[in-house]
Amino acid sequence: MALFLEDGVITTVVGNYPKIPDLPAPGKWRSAVEKFQKGQIDEAALRRVEDEVTVEAIRDQLEAGVDLITDGQIRWEDAQTHFARRLRGFHINGLQRYFDTNVYFREPVAEGEVGWAEPITVAEYTFARAHSTKPVKAVVTGPLTLGTLSRNTFYPTLREFVLALARALNGELRALAAAGAEVIQVDEPALCRHKQDYAVFADAMGVLTAGVRATLVLATYFGDLGGVYPQVLSLPFDIIGMDFVAGHRNWDVLSGAPFTKTLMFGILDARNTRVETPEEIVAAVRRISSTVPPERLQVAPSAGLEFLPHGVARRKLRALVEGVRTASEALKGARA
Amino acid sequence: MSELPLLPTTAVGSYPKPPYLLEARRKHLRNQIGKAELTELERRATREWIQIQEELGMDLLVDGEQYRGDMVAYFADEMAGFAIAGLVRSYGNRYYPKPVVVGPVGRKAPVTVSWFKYTQSLTKKPVKGMLTGPYTIAEWSFNEHYPTRRELVLELARAIHDEVVDLERAGARYIQIDEPAIHTRPEEDFDLAREAMEIVTEGISAYTVTHICYGDVPKIYPAMLHLAVDQLDLALKNEEFALLETFRKAPFTKDIGLGVVDAHSHRVESVQEVADGIRRTLEVIPAEQVYVSPDCGLKTRTADETIGKLRVMVEGTKVVRSELLGAREGARA
Repeated sequence: MALFLEDGVITTVVGNYPKIPDLPAPGKWRSAVEKFQKGQIDEAALRRVEDEVTVEAIRDQLEAGVDLITDGQIRWEDAQTHFARRLRGFHINGLQRYFDTNVYFREPVAEGEVGWAEPITVAEYTFARAHSTKPVKAVVTGPLTLGTLSRNTFYPTLREFVLALARALNGELRALAAAGAEVIQVDEPALCRHKQDYAVFADAMGVLTAGVRATLVLATYFGDLGGVYPQVLSLPFDIIGMDFVAGHRNWDVLSGAPFTKTLMFGILDARNTRVETPEEIVAAVRRISSTVPPERLQVAPSAGLEFLPHGVARRKLRALVEGVRTASEALKGARA
Repeated sequence: MSELPLLPTTAVGSYPKPPYLLEARRKHLRNQIGKAELTELERRATREWIQIQEELGMDLLVDGEQYRGDMVAYFADEMAGFAIAGLVRSYGNRYYPKPVVVGPVGRKAPVTVSWFKYTQSLTKKPVKGMLTGPYTIAEWSFNEHYPTRRELVLELARAIHDEVVDLERAGARYIQIDEPAIHTRPEEDFDLAREAMEIVTEGISAYTVTHICYGDVPKIYPAMLHLAVDQLDLALKNEEFALLETFRKAPFTKDIGLGVVDAHSHRVESVQEVADGIRRTLEVIPAEQVYVSPDCGLKTRTADETIGKLRVMVEGTKVVRSELLGAREGARA
């Protein structure tokens, strides 16, 4: 893949993207969901609107100049139920807060043996790839995050539950790889909150990625990896994503051992409206480049951008790309 | 005003807006109608909800927040230091206008007092003064101004305290300060939220309530019993009363606002379900400490669902209330 042969820092995103435009423009996704719920349009019509909005989210990322994009997860109600509704063994309960955010998801409840039944995100991935001129990353919620944000009424222990989820999601990763996904990201924000379960997590990552032929990304956010670093470097991933905003401590964490993988460097604050200046991005990239060389650096927001209003998300992506381009030039100059 | 009966029925705050008001709000946004015309329709909707609550036989009423778009943005709009950043998603296809703190925050004038006075003038039953708490306003806003969350929260606490004082002066005997965000960062911030609530209710003699929902309540229990309010209003039905197990671990020393109907499901619960929920609760918390309410504000429900849920809440409460009173009569006889 051309992307990784380039010598230099690239830009990417963590995953989700705002689904509706800023006021006063009407949000077509939002009104389509409303009409669908009232029985005024059918599911196919709703899916068409989701396709349109996905194409717009892809266009925003490409126009900003992001090198490695996602489909914006426009079709995901949330990162948990998108998978739990399509795996075997779950039903869906009432609303729960998503980590320390003001976003709520419906809690999956495991009431039987969980298992992979059919591809969940493969059609989403192939659709996005067909509509993008840049490489597209597939994203799957990881078993620890899905497990700890669900209620488990079936498995005797968290370990058994998370390993069962890892086996189920391995089916999804294999299906994505078979569909041609070259980069697959596993989102595990829960790792930052469940470091005491690291042994379970590490075993689950082995099960999850077994036999999957793709470049694999482990995305962590909403906290730091203190306590599980450098252990995470031996996990079966090529790229590790770390949040340097909510997980500001990650600066210290990295000084504990050489970073031997590619780093997805989450530096753009995905949870505040203040737009970073390109100078701030340049300074952060310069600072991290003393620890991780440019060819092993992917600069990104600290988390998905759906916590922000649409216009702010777009401005932030532009600031990110501009800052990284400037920093990249400076780093090349320094090497020449 | 009459005294409240055993197991008083109440509500958390918001009710859905009638179609004519939604339409008027849209027109007002497009500058097609003026503020006076909108206010008149907000008053009409408030009158209708007061009448509905009276007809249903509820005991402690709320104004239904017909004049508020969102519980945080409303205060942000009325206070200094805020701008509105744009819409962000809350869940499903529900969005809210998220404020951003751009300067020092504070009250320009009383925010809710005139609505409280108006609503109380419509009924002989007590009406709750309804405020959003400092931690929640801070947590549900973007902060581009204060260096720390602590400074923002405490500044907001002083402003909300002034509002509580003004409500009390205006005759409010029940004042609710909603803190649904209070357990967002339980380890890091609960002490801050507690300190903020002490500022908010300092020197107040009105009966105070805080509403907390949708988060890890067990994580702040029993610490939450130290919040400076008389009543904790909680969502029990959402998790089929699983919280009762938490309350068995340490005595529930405050009054509880017991959420007995789910505010985010379309299904209207049965009277039996409500009565069972209350009965289960009474095994853990004495009846004298229990107020009965929906899990949360009902503004995302339809009017029919809302009235249906309020009706089964009142009827289910009456069933248990007469059982209790019957048993007590029996005991005296």
